[in-house]
Amino acid sequence: MQGKGNIILAGKGLCKGFPGVWEHLILDHIDIDIKAGEIHAMLGENGAGKTVIANCLSGFYSLSEGQIYVKGKPVTLKSPRDGIRHGIGMVHQELALVKPFTVAQNIALGLPSSDLSFPLPEVENRVRELSENYRLYIDPLARVEDLSAGEQQRAEIIKVLYHDPEILILDEPTSLISADAEYLFEALDNMAKLGCGILFITHKIEEALEVGDRVTILRLGKSMGTRETAKTDKTELVKLMFGEHTPVHLERKPVKSTEIVLDVRNLEALAEDEEPALQGVSFSIREGEILGFAGISGNGQSELAEVITGMRRATKGQVIIHGKDYTNYAPREIIRAGVAHIPEKRRAMGVIEPMTTAENVVLKDIRVPPFSKGSFLNKSHITRHTKEIVSRFGALVSDLWKSQTRILSGGNIQRLILGRETWRMPGCLVAVYPTQGLDVKAIDHTWELFMRLREEGSSILLVSEDLDEVMALSDRIAVMSKGRIVGMFEGGEATREEIGFMIATGTSKA
Amino acid sequence: MGFPASIDELTKTIIGGVIGFAVGALIIMLYGYDPISAYQALFNGAFGDLYSFSESLANATPLILTALTFAIGFRGGMFNIGAEGQLYLGALAAVAVSFFHLPSAMGFALSLICAVVAGAIWSLPVAILKATRGVHEVISTIMLNWISQFLCFYLIARILVDPQRAEKTISVAEWTRIPLLVPGTSLSYGIFISLFAAIMVYLLLWRTVIGFDIRATGHNPLAATYAGIEKWKIILFVFITGGLTAGLAGAVHVMGRPPVYAIYGGMPSIKGLGFEGLAVAMVGRNHPIGIIFAAIFFGGLLAGGRMMQLFAHVPLEMVRVVVGIVVLFLAIPELVKVFSFLRKIRTLFIFRSKRS
Amino acid sequence: MNLAYFWGIFLGSLHAMVPITLTATGEVIGESAGLFNIGLEGIILLSAMTGALGAEAGGPAVGLLVGLGTGLVMGLVFGWVCTYFKGIQLIAGVGINLFAAGLVTFWLIHLGVPGHHAVAAESQMVNISTPYGDFSPMIFVAITLPVLIYILLFRTKLGLKIRAVGENPQAADVAGIKIHLLRLLSTAAGASLAGLAGAYISIDWLGSVTKEISAGRGFIALATVVFSGLNPLLALLGGFIFGFFENLAVWVATMPAVQKIIPWQFVAMAPYAVTLLVVTGVIGRARFPAAMGIPYERE
Repeated sequence: MQGKGNIILAGKGLCKGFPGVWEHLILDHIDIDIKAGEIHAMLGENGAGKTVIANCLSGFYSLSEGQIYVKGKPVTLKSPRDGIRHGIGMVHQELALVKPFTVAQNIALGLPSSDLSFPLPEVENRVRELSENYRLYIDPLARVEDLSAGEQQRAEIIKVLYHDPEILILDEPTSLISADAEYLFEALDNMAKLGCGILFITHKIEEALEVGDRVTILRLGKSMGTRETAKTDKTELVKLMFGEHTPVHLERKPVKSTEIVLDVRNLEALAEDEEPALQGVSFSIREGEILGFAGISGNGQSELAEVITGMRRATKGQVIIHGKDYTNYAPREIIRAGVAHIPEKRRAMGVIEPMTTAENVVLKDIRVPPFSKGSFLNKSHITRHTKEIVSRFGALVSDLWKSQTRILSGGNIQRLILGRETWRMPGCLVAVYPTQGLDVKAIDHTWELFMRLREEGSSILLVSEDLDEVMALSDRIAVMSKGRIVGMFEGGEATREEIGFMIATGTSKA
Repeated sequence: MGFPASIDELTKTIIGGVIGFAVGALIIMLYGYDPISAYQALFNGAFGDLYSFSESLANATPLILTALTFAIGFRGGMFNIGAEGQLYLGALAAVAVSFFHLPSAMGFALSLICAVVAGAIWSLPVAILKATRGVHEVISTIMLNWISQFLCFYLIARILVDPQRAEKTISVAEWTRIPLLVPGTSLSYGIFISLFAAIMVYLLLWRTVIGFDIRATGHNPLAATYAGIEKWKIILFVFITGGLTAGLAGAVHVMGRPPVYAIYGGMPSIKGLGFEGLAVAMVGRNHPIGIIFAAIFFGGLLAGGRMMQLFAHVPLEMVRVVVGIVVLFLAIPELVKVFSFLRKIRTLFIFRSKRS
Repeated sequence: MNLAYFWGIFLGSLHAMVPITLTATGEVIGESAGLFNIGLEGIILLSAMTGALGAEAGGPAVGLLVGLGTGLVMGLVFGWVCTYFKGIQLIAGVGINLFAAGLVTFWLIHLGVPGHHAVAAESQMVNISTPYGDFSPMIFVAITLPVLIYILLFRTKLGLKIRAVGENPQAADVAGIKIHLLRLLSTAAGASLAGLAGAYISIDWLGSVTKEISAGRGFIALATVVFSGLNPLLALLGGFIFGFFENLAVWVATMPAVQKIIPWQFVAMAPYAVTLLVVTGVIGRARFPAAMGIPYERE
């Protein structure tokens, strides 16, 4: 076993960019090192690059630049198999498990044994052994799809431990198992004592302080430094995670109206994997008001937007628009009710990539005059309208009717979507990560636009991971955690620190 | 807009065609025939003179329509191969109208209408099963094709049978037939019906709201829902319209094809038109204009095939072999990328067009 | 009605079951890995032809082998197009059907009698005679093969890998499995069984090759796979049920008493109508591999 204290895994100058999709580097010259026998926490907001760097260190992604060193030797990792060979095991946040299989079957899948073998009995025994040793209890014969999210995560961890890794990377392992986290921390402690080097990725400050020996903070793809957990505290970490600068205050008149445009009551819904995503969400937005949802994604914000706009079924609760119950109505009706939606997945849902710019700009309006006369499309009007939207929103498109929208950059697509959804001054706008991937000028333009809409009486439900943005735009700020609203702030009153704290810990600063 | 403007699509079709003919030539050689004379006879017989060309167009007439059936489905993201079963019923519906002695204009119109409706009705179960139970249309259309076939066998043998010649149905009444365009050939004015249908489908897909919705659903069902499009409406519309054109194919064939203007037991003259239409749609890149050209090309291959058989002694089924290979290669979306040397030619083209 | 009568129907059903069960079992392997092969019909047809010729050249065993080989080759072509080339499975399958239909008809003409080729009696498989009818050894094969495939899919590591590839290729990729290769081999193995089925039809059961000899059995096999929920043992059962209905049509056609009430055409429809009903009823429950039909690309 590696002597304790020696650097077992290191990365120097790590860079990663996804050309064409992102307009900036996801990982920006990061240096990191992990020692044998230590638990090294990596802290940061979403979009900071935590999952990406973990994937690079385990071999699932390739690096654009930089070098990885295992036990001092430079290595190139071309696949997860390479990672395993070098003793690196990674527990993914999005579990890499085959749902209808049992835990044992999933583990057997990755074993190097012969294809005609039937290794299950052996696997089952060893799983029970590992379960005992690390106190991560799991039944090898249970089918993954029957397990709770927490148990599934345990299974994933055991799957990785099966290969006896010397370096263990865990990506947000407690995002689903906070109740059982103690067992996990104990297990990790044991492993570290045995000489394992552990990289523990999280967005929860308290966890990082509890479990980690050292902590590295990531913000927007850059490393903000490494601290020893014994020598730092929450306040410093919040500052490093979120940055410290004065929030922008935009000129605004107070909200005049008391008429409620969007009223959400006790909303419950399930996520893709059938786990509860919304567990009783209630709030309302008045005419001319912006309600911003701040915080880390994955706490139900996406599902909330989807339910309100008719893209996801609500299992309980109500969505009331202008006083009428629109719960579980088809998107068509909700669009007619005056709800505009800037979706999270702009390429997969917001536009139809193989179609042209003009077609995408009129995607929703095409059904009504003057865009169509009766059943027929009014091409001249569509062209005129598209030209106007394109110029007003500064989208760079080569032509309106010939090229596929697929070739446009993410930022340009977002400009088209913004134009499409806002030109009618909608009564209610649901905007999910609306400025992601946009440059500073476009972000300014968007903020201006939202404020103007607010002036004209639109209600805006804003979901954003950019705390600056939420604070600048919102009249009220809500923080969601695990499908519930855990805090509601008045726009002018809360400080960045307070909100940041609630996001990072799910509680208020006592 | 709407036309396969990209060089990619055309190149792909050409590559597919070249490979298909190359493999065909190989097989022809393996059987001891001469591919050059075979292909020569083939093309002569297809487009060599007025007679040949007329025969080619006559063959193309129903193919355009059945290809449209598949193409509309494809554009909507669905795999509608039910044209076979629908066209059988369309043909017989047109024949059935001749039982009643109606004045010519009315008889003519009614024959077409009944055929079209018959085709549409036969496509309804497919649409309903898909929209309500999620039954994959591939299985339901094929089963309905077979059921339609046997149903039609029965109708031909018992109900619509010609009292004087039991092996065929009654002939379509003379005044209900589509007049010949070129005397002495098989080509009737039906070709204009087909062309008209193709133009209608083009307008439908690219100039109407429902056409827009169909294409949107075909590209991205999730975004289509987001945009307010209701999927079940699209499913119903696509299959019914496909049924309409398939039924029309059957009618146009039986009402326009000399010398008997009837259907024989076993349906040899209309069997396969549905599946050939599928191939035509693929080669025509599922676009009405492309389909017209592809149908004429196919019709030519079939007409020329007879010449090939006569002069070079290569059985005309070789044509179908070539078609199968072409479709197989057209299944590859990035076919052009597969051939790296062509990639260089492609970049040259793009470079040229960017500069101009 | 006596015992001989029922035994006759039973045997007939078993014979009709063979091609469907073999093809369906093969397709279970392919679909478990995630590929949907609609070209089975063409493969059966083609191997009926090649198997017959092989049998005439070297006897029934050779014929069966040639049929199997034909299926293997076609499966490899289909698989290659749909994995490494990321081809659209439905269209590639249709291409194979068209190709096979054309080639077989072409071949039949070339062999002399257009449309029909009777396989020489001595090239046909030797069946075991019972007082009630012939019993082919292939029936044994058709019964044991699903059991073997069941063991393969559910009791070996290879089966795990195949099913993982169809269910969650990303997870399988992470586990180091070669997705494209495994899918290719699975679908090729499945197609080989369809090839075997085709050869059986021409050199054992019906004893001739026509351009209609596959008679939609490839598609009925696909429906059987839906019915089986990707369980080879249920594919065996499904094959028997459909074989029974097919056979029934033939029997009814020979009974003038029934003919008067139900025209033969309606009985001939029965297998297809039953298939449709079963698929409609079952499809709500059926659970397909999550990644079936989707070409795989690693990000």
